[in-house]
Amino acid sequence: MSTLALPAPGLLDPARPEPLPRADDLPAQITRSGLTGRGGAGFPVGAKIAALRRPPAAIVANASEGEPLSAKDTVLLRESPHAVIDGLLLLSDALAPRAALTIMVHPRSAAGVRAALAARPDGHRVRLQVAQERFVAGEATAVAAALAGGEQIPADHPHHLTEKGLRGGPVLVQNAETLAHVARIARHGAEAFRSAGSAEDPGTRLVTIARPEGAESVLEVPGGATLREVLHLAGTEPGMLDAVLVGGYHGRWARPEQLDLPLGPRPAPGVHGAGAGVLMLLDRGRCPLAVTTAILDHLAAQSAGQCGPCVLGLPRIAASMHDLEAGHGDPARLRRRLEAVAGRGACRHPDGTAQLAASTLTAFGPELTAHAAGRCTGWRR
Amino acid sequence: MDEVLWATARASGVVALVLLTLSVVLGILTRGGRPMIGLPRFAVAHLHRDASLLATAFLTLHVVTLLGDSYAGLRLVDLMVPFLAARDALWQGLGTTALDLLLAVIVTALLRRRLPAAVFRTVHLAVLPLWGIALLHALGSGTDAGTLWFRVLAAASAAIVLAATLWRLLAPSFRTHPAARARRTPERSLR
Repeated sequence: MSTLALPAPGLLDPARPEPLPRADDLPAQITRSGLTGRGGAGFPVGAKIAALRRPPAAIVANASEGEPLSAKDTVLLRESPHAVIDGLLLLSDALAPRAALTIMVHPRSAAGVRAALAARPDGHRVRLQVAQERFVAGEATAVAAALAGGEQIPADHPHHLTEKGLRGGPVLVQNAETLAHVARIARHGAEAFRSAGSAEDPGTRLVTIARPEGAESVLEVPGGATLREVLHLAGTEPGMLDAVLVGGYHGRWARPEQLDLPLGPRPAPGVHGAGAGVLMLLDRGRCPLAVTTAILDHLAAQSAGQCGPCVLGLPRIAASMHDLEAGHGDPARLRRRLEAVAGRGACRHPDGTAQLAASTLTAFGPELTAHAAGRCTGWRR
Repeated sequence: MDEVLWATARASGVVALVLLTLSVVLGILTRGGRPMIGLPRFAVAHLHRDASLLATAFLTLHVVTLLGDSYAGLRLVDLMVPFLAARDALWQGLGTTALDLLLAVIVTALLRRRLPAAVFRTVHLAVLPLWGIALLHALGSGTDAGTLWFRVLAAASAAIVLAATLWRLLAPSFRTHPAARARRTPERSLR
């Protein structure tokens, strides 16, 4: 199990505010480290920084955490807020010393982060903003909209935020965990970061172990670890599980025979896309269709109401899944509805929702057949 | 770019509905043959025609933009033949039905001088069901159908059209067509 070794100190070990290291070669170090964004999209941080044409006008540590099953940013900010603040300040020193710095936090983290900022001499450089509680709040353009004082909802963005974001200036939005990794890279170097994880998925990531009722625990795992290894680290017995929803509400189902595939930043053949690191466990005996319809209902209700395909399409996708659960649905009809929203909308909310529904159709064929015959293999709610 | 098409269709659809409502109400008022407050009869008729023309323009924009939108998934045949669409056949089909009826109204209105008055009048009366069908289409297919402002708009439009229709039907002095009234009225009383 040497591949599961984690660097010390861990990301969740409390870090005291210490003097910041020099940040001159931080962008190069980040690129060398292979760090990818931990907010869900898994985009390489080095490439995102390289896409900046000018120094950013604003840099945001994003801990909006709109995904109800995710708790990793909250736990990170509770256990080690200074790691995130360090990362934000270091990135600012390296890229844009005069950029406006903001930590956008879920309401439950506000008090703790405010105290952490007050406890350090450079805390006044960072502004704290409390995010609005909605699923799409964490999307980068929604964060930029909230910075400008508007509703925290995504915007149609023909330009990347790294080109044009706030009042014409570029905006760099990074997930809170990503910035904690940045601070670690600045202190210990890219090689130390790469010493954990695999070549394809260097470093570590925080994962939230959840059940349909909500998040249960948060732990740091090495990149490239298989789903089985992560479950082992979390102290879970995979034999009790019917499936794992990898990546949260916008994720994909993994069945027991797929547990030996590794997690990675993005979904790929043979790789589970970790997304923002949510692993929702489905215990044996629970009906996957009932769980999925509840999630789809939530996602449909969480549409910001801006784009037709989302406003109209998501409730229909949820309705189709309800029909399938009730045993009189038509999978082909649902697939047509999924195709209709593909690539549409200002953000990826329709695509993510369609991904969950499509994955449910793929993963639970026998369950769908059973429901069509008027039965359900689940025996507990 | 995709959202530009849908957003344009969404906005032009609402504007077309408002203009259509205005046009219908003005049409009923002008048919009533009485000057409105501060407006002579010819001005009401002019406004009616202008509102209709604008409604047609916005409706064209609505249909053309939807033709290019992947979510709407319209084929050319769906513009003319209702209830064939693969997706959302009922509500989209109501829109097509309204469009077909409106086309008939527009053609007979343009050919008014060359058609028997009864043909023009009968076809023009199709505006009332057309307007109702268009409203249903908006409530069924509209992105904004679930919002409070649209429901208020829809209810207000319905109330105005209903009130105008009732006013027209119940006003005793306007029960008959002016031509028929002229036939009944002795020639000298007109002097």
